[in-house]
Amino acid sequence: MSPMSRVGGYAGRPRLEQMLFLYLALSATALIALVPFLWLVFGALKSPQEIRQIPPTLFPRVWRFDNFVRVFTVPSIKLPLPMYYSNSLAVAAARVAMILFTSSLIGYVLAKFRFRGKRAIFWFIMSTMIVPFQVTMIPSYLILVRLRLIDTLWGLIVPSAIDAFGIFLMQQFIFSVPEALMDSARVDGASEWLMFRRILLPQLPAPCATLAMLTFMSSWNSYLWPLIVLKSDQKRTLPIILYFFQGQQVQRLELIMAASILIIAPMLIVFLSSQKWIIQGLAFTGLKE
Amino acid sequence: MRAWGGMERVKRRFAYAVVLPVLLYMLFWTLIPYVWVIVLSLFEYSPRRAGAVFPGLGGNNPFVGLGNFAEMLSLGAAASKRLSEFRIALKNTILFSALVVPLNLAITLPAAVLVERVRQRQLNSFFRTALFVPVITSSVGVGIMWKYIFNPQWGILNGALSWLLGGRFFTSWLGDSSLFVLGVPVPLLAVLVAYLWTDAGYNFVIFFTALQGIPQSLKEAADLDGASPLQRFFRVTVPLLMPQIQLTAILTLISAFQVFDVIQVMTQGGPNKLTRVLVLDIYENAFRFESMGWASAASIILFALVLAISLAQKRLLRTNWEYG
Repeated sequence: MSPMSRVGGYAGRPRLEQMLFLYLALSATALIALVPFLWLVFGALKSPQEIRQIPPTLFPRVWRFDNFVRVFTVPSIKLPLPMYYSNSLAVAAARVAMILFTSSLIGYVLAKFRFRGKRAIFWFIMSTMIVPFQVTMIPSYLILVRLRLIDTLWGLIVPSAIDAFGIFLMQQFIFSVPEALMDSARVDGASEWLMFRRILLPQLPAPCATLAMLTFMSSWNSYLWPLIVLKSDQKRTLPIILYFFQGQQVQRLELIMAASILIIAPMLIVFLSSQKWIIQGLAFTGLKE
Repeated sequence: MRAWGGMERVKRRFAYAVVLPVLLYMLFWTLIPYVWVIVLSLFEYSPRRAGAVFPGLGGNNPFVGLGNFAEMLSLGAAASKRLSEFRIALKNTILFSALVVPLNLAITLPAAVLVERVRQRQLNSFFRTALFVPVITSSVGVGIMWKYIFNPQWGILNGALSWLLGGRFFTSWLGDSSLFVLGVPVPLLAVLVAYLWTDAGYNFVIFFTALQGIPQSLKEAADLDGASPLQRFFRVTVPLLMPQIQLTAILTLISAFQVFDVIQVMTQGGPNKLTRVLVLDIYENAFRFESMGWASAASIILFALVLAISLAQKRLLRTNWEYG
C-alpha cells in the first residue's frame, strides 16, 4: 500500500481489519458488561427446579414471569417491598432536596460574595472531600445515638446535609452567571433571597439536574451507613433488606434474583432517562468519590 | 433604589446568614467527629460499658494513649486475634487496591479509545451506556449477581467452563481458600472481578470525555506520520491523557482502599479471612464487637493511607505543572 493511499484511508475511513478489530473488541467488552445483567434476569425467570439444575441452563425453559409477583405475595417470604420502596424513596427525595438547597446557596455565596474568611471556609469545606466517610462513621453513629436518631430514616438524612462536591459544582457554574443580571434585580429592590430563587436558580438547570441525579443515585444505592443506623425491620431501605433477604432465603435463588432486579430497575430507569446529566456530572471534574 | 454602600451591607449580611449556620452544622457533623474519632482511638472504648465522664470515656473505658496504634504497627508475632485480623485486613486491602488500579486502567483506557473511534452515533451511545450501567447498579445487587455467577453448582462461570472444556467444573471461586493464582487467593480475585466490573465505567467516562477534548488535528497528525494504532495509543493518546490517567489512578486507588459493599455481600471477608479488608475490619470491630476504640484507631490508619496517597498526588501534579 502506498503512503498516499494510507493517508487517504486513515483520514476518511479506517482500514477494514482495523474496523473489524474495533467492533470485535467493543462487542466483547459490551458483552462482559451486559452478561451479568442477563444472567440475573434469566435466573429471575427460572423455576425453583431449573435454577438449581446441573449443569445450569442459560435461557429459562419456562419463563416464570410470576416470580416477580411471588416476591410480593408468597406468605413465607413476607417481604413488604412497597414499604421499603417508600423508605428508600423518602430518604432519597429528602436528601436530593436538601443537597440541592444547601449546595446552590453556599455555592452562590462562595462564588459571588466577598467577606472575611471566605477562602478559609471554602478550603475547609473542600478538605472534607479527602476524609472518607468510613473514617468518621463511628463518632457519627455515637452522635446519632445521643440524638436518639438511631433506627430512624432521619439518621440517614440529617448527617449528610452538606456535600462538598455539590458546593464546588454549583460554585463553578454560578461563577459564569453575569453579575449584571443579578444587580439589575437588586436595583429593582429584590431581596437577596428572592434574587437567589427567582433569578439565579433558573439559570442553573444543568448543574441542578446533575447534582440531583448523583445524589439520588448515591442515596438509593447506599449500603454501609443504613446498615449501621437502621435496626428494626420496618425501617430498612431496599439494599439492606435485599442483603437480609438473600441471607435468609438461600433456597429461593430465583426470588433473590427477582428481588435484586426490582431494586436495581428504578435506578436503571432513572439513569436511562437522564443519562446525560449523570455522565456530565461525573466527567465534570472527576472529583466524586 | 438603595445606595451602593447599603447594597454591599445587605449582601454581606446575607452571606453571613448563609455561612454561619453552615459552619455550625459542620462544627457538629464534621469537626466534632474528626476530633472524636481521634479521642476514641486513644481509649479502649465500648458503648456497652459505662464510662467515668460525659461521653463515656474513662472508668471501664480506660485511656490507653497510643497503645492501639503501637499494637497495630508493632512487628513480630500477633499477640491477639484482633491484631492478626487487622494485619490480614491491611495486607488484603493493599493487595486488592494494588491490583485494582492497573487492571482498571488496562480496561478503561483502551475501551475509551476504541469507543471514541466509533462514528455511528447510536452505536457509540450504546457502547457508552453498556459500559456505564454497572456503575449505577446497587452494590448489593452487584454482589448478589456475581455471587450467583460464581456459584459452584448453578453459576454461569462453571457452566460455561464445563461447556467449553468438557467435563464438570464445580470450582468454588468464592469459597476455596486453597486456590491461588500467582500467589493471589482466588476468592480475592473473584471479588476483585465484581468490583472492577462495577467500578470501571466511571474511569471510562473520564477518559472518553478527555479524548473528545483532544483536537482532531493532533489525532490526524499521528495518522499522517503513518503510526500504527498501537504506536498512536502509546505515543500520542497516553501522553496526552497523562493528567487524567494520574488523577483517575489516584482516585481509583483511594476508593479501592474503602471497598466494603461488594465483599460484605459476597464473602463477608471469608474464606479463612482471605477477603477481609480494612473497612470490613473496622465495621465488625465497631458494630459487631463494639470495640470502638480499636476500630477508631483502624479508621485513622485508613485515613493515613488516603492522606498519604493524596499528598503524593499533589506532588505529582505539581511537577507536571512545572514541566507543562
